[in-house]
Amino acid sequence: MKKSPTHVPPEWQWPAHGQVRIYVWQWPVRAAHWIIFVTIISLSFTGYYMHSPFVTPHGKTAYLMGTMRFVHLLSGFVFLAAVLVRIIWMFIGNRWSRWDQFIPTTKARIKDFLATGRYYGYMSWAPPRHIGHNAIAGFSYAAVYGMAVVEILTGLALLSNVLGNRTLAFFIGWLPRLIDLQWLREIHFLVMFGLWSFFVYHVYMAMLVSVEEENGVMESIFTGYKFLSESELRQAKTEVDGTGNQQLVDHVHRSECGEYHGGDSPPASGM
Amino acid sequence: MTAPTCGVPAALQVRGVSRREFVRFCSSMAATLALPPKYLGVIASALAKADRPILVWLEFQDCAGNSESMLRSSNPPVTEFVLDLLSWEYHELLMAGAGKQAEDALERVVREHAGQYIAVVEGAIPTADGGVYCTIGGKTALDIAKHVCSNAVANIAVGACAWDGGLVRSNPNPTGALGLQDAVPGLKNLINLGGCPHNPANTAAVLVHYLTFHELPALDEYRRPLFAYGDIIHDQCERRAHYDAGRFVEEWGDEGHRKGYCLYKMGCKGPEATYNCPTVRWNDGTSWPVKAGHGCIACASHRFWDTKSPFYRRLPSVPGFGVDVTADQIGWGITGLAVTAMAAQVVGDIVRDKVKARKENAETPEPPQSRQA
Repeated sequence: MKKSPTHVPPEWQWPAHGQVRIYVWQWPVRAAHWIIFVTIISLSFTGYYMHSPFVTPHGKTAYLMGTMRFVHLLSGFVFLAAVLVRIIWMFIGNRWSRWDQFIPTTKARIKDFLATGRYYGYMSWAPPRHIGHNAIAGFSYAAVYGMAVVEILTGLALLSNVLGNRTLAFFIGWLPRLIDLQWLREIHFLVMFGLWSFFVYHVYMAMLVSVEEENGVMESIFTGYKFLSESELRQAKTEVDGTGNQQLVDHVHRSECGEYHGGDSPPASGM
Repeated sequence: MTAPTCGVPAALQVRGVSRREFVRFCSSMAATLALPPKYLGVIASALAKADRPILVWLEFQDCAGNSESMLRSSNPPVTEFVLDLLSWEYHELLMAGAGKQAEDALERVVREHAGQYIAVVEGAIPTADGGVYCTIGGKTALDIAKHVCSNAVANIAVGACAWDGGLVRSNPNPTGALGLQDAVPGLKNLINLGGCPHNPANTAAVLVHYLTFHELPALDEYRRPLFAYGDIIHDQCERRAHYDAGRFVEEWGDEGHRKGYCLYKMGCKGPEATYNCPTVRWNDGTSWPVKAGHGCIACASHRFWDTKSPFYRRLPSVPGFGVDVTADQIGWGITGLAVTAMAAQVVGDIVRDKVKARKENAETPEPPQSRQA
């Protein structure tokens, strides 16, 4: 164990002894996350009002529904932009933001899906550890992106009907011909509750994983950094090297990890 | 019964229609067609020169509501003009002839004026069981429509039933009814004037447009004229300001209903329906449903009986949940289930941690080192 120059107790050191700090969520991922979070709240609030106006304004110059619709449309387009950025980032971002984190395609991911499922289903004591998303979380985000795409398409179709815009109708006009506007509105409304249900579970699961894995997952969506133990890093590195993918190692190199700067042999753990 | 060959002015003169009334009619038609004022002269001179084209009006699975709607207009005297602008050779509701003579008249028109007459169709066409659910003079509606419409120079489907099958085709559609375009595919110069009923001003305007420019007006993807079906009811509604303000009728006959607030919460389909109902209106421009205090039911929208019902709710009932369960209840139910499941998992995870801690304590007297890191 190295002696800390500032005499901070070992368990307060940052990163803690035996852990490396690794840059997992790049800034577009975090920005998209929080923009989507804020816009879903504003879209839900204004959208629920548009579905069933629950406040009656007073005064002769009231413009409540008009304002709600304006905020809804504005939030909708910001939401659309954030979802688009995130989907593009699935193809150009780092290995933890790529599309294959959301859909289990490899044997390892499927195994991880089942292992995480066993933990959530009280069939194992500890969760499998991850640098990025676990396979079930990733899959639930795939469902969220599915819901987001449904909301965007139905929303644009409803907007196209209101605007009567030929350009928009050219891109989305097939949808109202396939499913009637009334049902598009129903889908648009019901999928909102799917996003709410996801939100409820997402917050709890983030708390659970943060506590159980002790990897700073809650903070990571603000800072971008997660914490790995040496043994986990070694294991992950072996996996990555085995597939010939240098990305993980590169990221570790670039990250401001406390004691580990890459190389063939990580320093011995302090513990 | 022979097809008269006299022109429009002579026919109008016989009916005692003055030049002033004629010009007023032309200007109202130009306004309905959303044409600039300079087209008033074009329309008036074209109609004055026009030979009266022959028109046959076929009625199949219908309630005669579109014919009745045509006859309900008096000022401007749309009916008179439409009746006089064209030579109506066959219309079951109006014609004096009956039986064999009437059917012979229709047959004569098809034989002698093939490719020259205009066919108007009202009502759906049954196709199940060989089309036996609607027969006229021993012939099925399907046979009549194929025979008459495929020889017409232009076909006008008036009302929801003739356009997309309307009420007759709505679920469960026991007679296999179809609209004209589906029952007789590939008809040339077909124009759909949806609505329950059609608005006679629009039908007259289509005929005037055809007589003036010798072509059909600009159509949308359902072959409906854009001048009548191109704008959303909601955008033309006189109650729109109340919508934007957020003032709504909460129940029938309440204070808001008496004050003329927006009918959105009562299930008004104005925001998704297109029609020129609010501007052209009904019964000589007297009123229209929303002005009279009833929500729009989107009667001019595609298959509105199936797609727009229930007419008094914002959203349809979710299939499989019964008609009394609203989408709101289902949505909140889904969210409630998620919260319940999450709460159950919180309890489960707490129990697991306790059990795990006890187990680890039993195995090792000291707490595991890794927990301090």
